[in-house]
Amino acid sequence: MGTDLWGTTAIVGVGETDYVRGSDRHVCDLILDAAMDAITDAGLKPADINGIIPPPGYMSTEEIAAHLGVPDVAYHVSVLMGGASPTASLQTAAMAIAGGLADNVLVCMGWNGYSALRPKPDARPTKRVMNLGPMGETVRNHYAPYGLMSAAQHYSLYLRRYVETFGIPEDAAAAVAIACRNHAQLNSKALMRGAPLSRADYDAAPFIAEPLRKFDCCVETDCATAVVVTSLERARDLVHPAVVYLGGAEGHPEPADEIANRANLLELGIHRAAPRAFARAGVSPHDIDVLEIYDCFTYVVLLQLEALGYAEPGGAPAFVANGNIELGGRFPLNTHGGLLSQGHCWGLNHVVEATRQLRGTADAQVTDAELALVTGYGDLGDGSVAILGRDR
Amino acid sequence: MRTYVPTPEWIVLDWHHACIAAELLCIQRCTGCGRWRHPPRRFCPACQSDQATFEPVTGSGSVLSFAVSHRSLDPGWQAHAPYATLLVELDEGPRLLAATTTPPGEIRIGQRLAVRTEALSENFVLVWADPASHDEPTSMAPRARGNPHD
Repeated sequence: MGTDLWGTTAIVGVGETDYVRGSDRHVCDLILDAAMDAITDAGLKPADINGIIPPPGYMSTEEIAAHLGVPDVAYHVSVLMGGASPTASLQTAAMAIAGGLADNVLVCMGWNGYSALRPKPDARPTKRVMNLGPMGETVRNHYAPYGLMSAAQHYSLYLRRYVETFGIPEDAAAAVAIACRNHAQLNSKALMRGAPLSRADYDAAPFIAEPLRKFDCCVETDCATAVVVTSLERARDLVHPAVVYLGGAEGHPEPADEIANRANLLELGIHRAAPRAFARAGVSPHDIDVLEIYDCFTYVVLLQLEALGYAEPGGAPAFVANGNIELGGRFPLNTHGGLLSQGHCWGLNHVVEATRQLRGTADAQVTDAELALVTGYGDLGDGSVAILGRDR
Repeated sequence: MRTYVPTPEWIVLDWHHACIAAELLCIQRCTGCGRWRHPPRRFCPACQSDQATFEPVTGSGSVLSFAVSHRSLDPGWQAHAPYATLLVELDEGPRLLAATTTPPGEIRIGQRLAVRTEALSENFVLVWADPASHDEPTSMAPRARGNPHD
């Protein structure tokens, strides 16, 4: 099966809404707009879609199919890994296609990540919420009673350990935050376009949950994104150059449902996913041209870079220094601005950006980009990796 | 404003009830192999036995890591920001979160701790931990301090 799976499917359509705070659109409209955009971008019609991977919450496959006019859903599945879900969904989409269960699979994500917590006074209420999945029970029972409600607080439990174990300087976190913000200045849809970030701004910002300062945290956003995956064979007949799904993987820490009792607090899901993904794609970390790394928090980016093999444990600060991750550097990172500065669409916006980079149509285009790597991170440390490449 | 107090269910509720009954921190222990484990689990990950009891622990441990929150969505905690939440490694091995009365700046990874519990309801105990005093035995003193978050 392995040889029939990896490298035999491709992303052929991408769609995204604007990334805003305080959208006037209902969350369902955001999701459906992005989905229709992705289908249209692929040169397909809703009737061509017969596989759907819906967002973790908000809308069901059944609703999405009915509203888009998808008449015959042959396969669907929900992937519940928080922010690791969209990137992990690519492997599931590829399996369904390679296994003959579906032909064209729609993967979509969208939410009212800003407005759900801060509705406008005249906003019509919605009962639609994200599916917290396995994270909900642990947070409700074990973390929230101790005043740890937000992801920044939960992750700070192990990020403190990371910073103290290796002496990780704020310089490294600031380099990630500023690179993402610089790239957002070039992205037509980035929430933080027009709002550059200086090192002085970074340093002056208050702590949210140590070591995380304000600009170490991603931006809550109302937005939606979608991609369409199909077989490489069909992809070659469609409008855009095929972006091949060369390999991917997911991984979970042990235990995955809580942080405190892991033998190594710093071993995340991606530490297990990364070697699997590189082996499946048949490439090595230094073959990659563009990095789209799940950046809910800057220090989580540093840990992922180490897990991927770009640095030894504790070595990420040297990797992100000296412009290495800026556009024009050796490993441009989050060329759309990332969750930190484009907007938070659970990392499916990273997949959209990687696809555009490999088509050669990104706003902040990396010259001759042939291979892109995307990561997802979610819940209490689940991880996913996707390696995408230009066709031939 | 009251700090959020959940009503747990299933084996998590059993754990809270055991701590409340003993007026001490109890931790689940495998009847089959004696291994301590937390949070409560149905099967022992080492020997797969589903036989386990909740037994009192010494209440001694150390700081493995800690969160320092400068903001909280919970108004009860927000009033005390910045506040620390400790990730405690008990001497018996299991780890759990604990609230602390110690200011964040006085907490260090590796610091020795004494742990105690405070029942916030009939179904929920909050675990507290503060640096172990060299002048006193590290025995637990239930209800020795009021909850500063009331």
